[in-house]
Amino acid sequence: MIKKQIVLLLAVTTLGCVTTAFSQSPISGFMQGKGKGNVALSYSFEKYDNVFLVPQEVESVPVFNDVKITSASIYGVYGISDQVDVVMVLPYITATGNASQEVLTNNNFENERKGLQDVSVFVKYSPFYFDFGKSSLRLIGALGLKTPLGDYNVNEGLQSIIAIGNRSTTFSTTGMAMYKMNSGVFASAQFAGNFASNEVPNSYSSEVKLGYAASLFYADAFIANQTSTSGVDILGEGFTGFFPSTQVNYTKIGLNLYTPITKEVGISAGASTVIEGRNVGKATGLYGGLVYKF
Amino acid sequence: MKNVNIKSVVVALSLLATLSSCENDYQDEKPSIAAIAVANANFSTLEGAAIQGGVAGVLSNSNPNDPSGKYTVFAPTNDAFAKLGLVNSGSLGVLQNSFLTNTLLYHVSNGSLMANQIMAGGTSASALSINRRFISRGSDLYINGSKIILTDVAASNGTVHAIDKVMIATGVNIVDSAILLKDSKVFKSPELTFLVQAVISSGLAPTLSNPANNFTIYAPTDAAFKAAGFATIQDVANAPQAVLQQVLLNHAISGGKFTSEQTATTATTAGGGTLTYSPFLNGVFTVKSNGNTIPANMVIPDIQCSNGVVHIIDRVLLP
Repeated sequence: MIKKQIVLLLAVTTLGCVTTAFSQSPISGFMQGKGKGNVALSYSFEKYDNVFLVPQEVESVPVFNDVKITSASIYGVYGISDQVDVVMVLPYITATGNASQEVLTNNNFENERKGLQDVSVFVKYSPFYFDFGKSSLRLIGALGLKTPLGDYNVNEGLQSIIAIGNRSTTFSTTGMAMYKMNSGVFASAQFAGNFASNEVPNSYSSEVKLGYAASLFYADAFIANQTSTSGVDILGEGFTGFFPSTQVNYTKIGLNLYTPITKEVGISAGASTVIEGRNVGKATGLYGGLVYKF
Repeated sequence: MKNVNIKSVVVALSLLATLSSCENDYQDEKPSIAAIAVANANFSTLEGAAIQGGVAGVLSNSNPNDPSGKYTVFAPTNDAFAKLGLVNSGSLGVLQNSFLTNTLLYHVSNGSLMANQIMAGGTSASALSINRRFISRGSDLYINGSKIILTDVAASNGTVHAIDKVMIATGVNIVDSAILLKDSKVFKSPELTFLVQAVISSGLAPTLSNPANNFTIYAPTDAAFKAAGFATIQDVANAPQAVLQQVLLNHAISGGKFTSEQTATTATTAGGGTLTYSPFLNGVFTVKSNGNTIPANMVIPDIQCSNGVVHIIDRVLLP
């Protein structure tokens, strides 16, 4: 079943001035089934030259003018039982600025930061599945932990506009519901609380998805939001140049596509764009991935 | 079953409500002074200067040194920086960072000073603890030699006024100011090295460094001295003292005046000669001495020293 192979775009959203981990939640409404799962490799590219600051969107990223972020990620999901999946994500991220050589020299900055970012592990538990005949409803709860794996730096002053992460260990709890019709059309919604270990503000995130999942084709469109519960604004009161303590809010929209090539292998692709935010780059990105299911 | 459906609808609706409540609710907030510089394309060089000079964080926050928590910033536009050859953030690399920081602080003061509180003839203490003068000329208001071209931009942590020229203050006397340039404390490359030698060799250093005196000084660049026939600093040192005195005194006028304060078309030098000024245009005028066929242009006007004002020019004013 195609629905068991759904891959997600991991990518980094926008760190730039910012530091979010995933452009989408790695939690889907589909369960793998005991002993089954898939592994995906994906590559994403995103770019921004505008930044949502307070109170307005500004053109041109301070210092770096524009920022490109690429990530190569490995994603895996495995069904421990029919009701429990384990999900793992690990991205390697390259963030590239576009500052002139003079500006780099004047400030002792560099145009690139890259490295292994944070590994995330989620345990998904789906205790409730209601079959209504022509449709079904699944409820899922998930616990997740994200922690830095690489030794990337976040405390380099404005150099850290292109830091690849925020170096927090974050514990998250997610609640999710997915309603699916036998035609393949589905809708899901999830809400998560994210509790960060250090100066990084806690946040809650949500995602609503509408999609179609059939044996030869999968597609969805989503709107996702993250809202920090505290934190300082970039260039606002309390800002010292330390980006992890920044409040990061955003709303993004996107879509995901998947189709199988063989019984085991499929390809995924997608796009997303940040439509609104606070202390975040107005990033637009694409990704493609190769999925192996077992 | 129906019950479950209703519940799921409620859950979905509440999630959507959460999403929609995350609309931009801060667009009515005022930006900080630093954010104004970042958001406004006409202040991009200032933005680069604030970052390089290490004051971007300071100007993001409330002023801890003022009960109101406010700053006032006289913000030079990109055109103002370009008048000094600083055409973008990258070109700021010719400056020493400590000088850049001090120069930025000279544009900052404690408390919100609104345009209607500014009085021509008054002064305002800068964060560099050197006073600036407010000067009225025609229908325009100046701070030192810089025209105030936009007033009362409200920031969360103060007020911004835009100016058309970068303000410079050294905090030391005329001779020591020239020595700062010679010793590469301002630009990373030395400047005014010939002039400093001339001041020393002429024996005029005590006069020009005396706090009881106050001068307007036209200070020729090294290139100007070379064009005047001094190939090396040693040539300056070898020149007769009387000649050096005569030439230097032709560059000094009693009473330190910014360009904005200079309304006469001629001036009598400390040496008794006469300088002729072109009409005041775009913040500067040219200076012509009797011994010159071509007038001198200002390269860096309006440098405030503790005992006068120095304008760096591109030609030696021959008596």
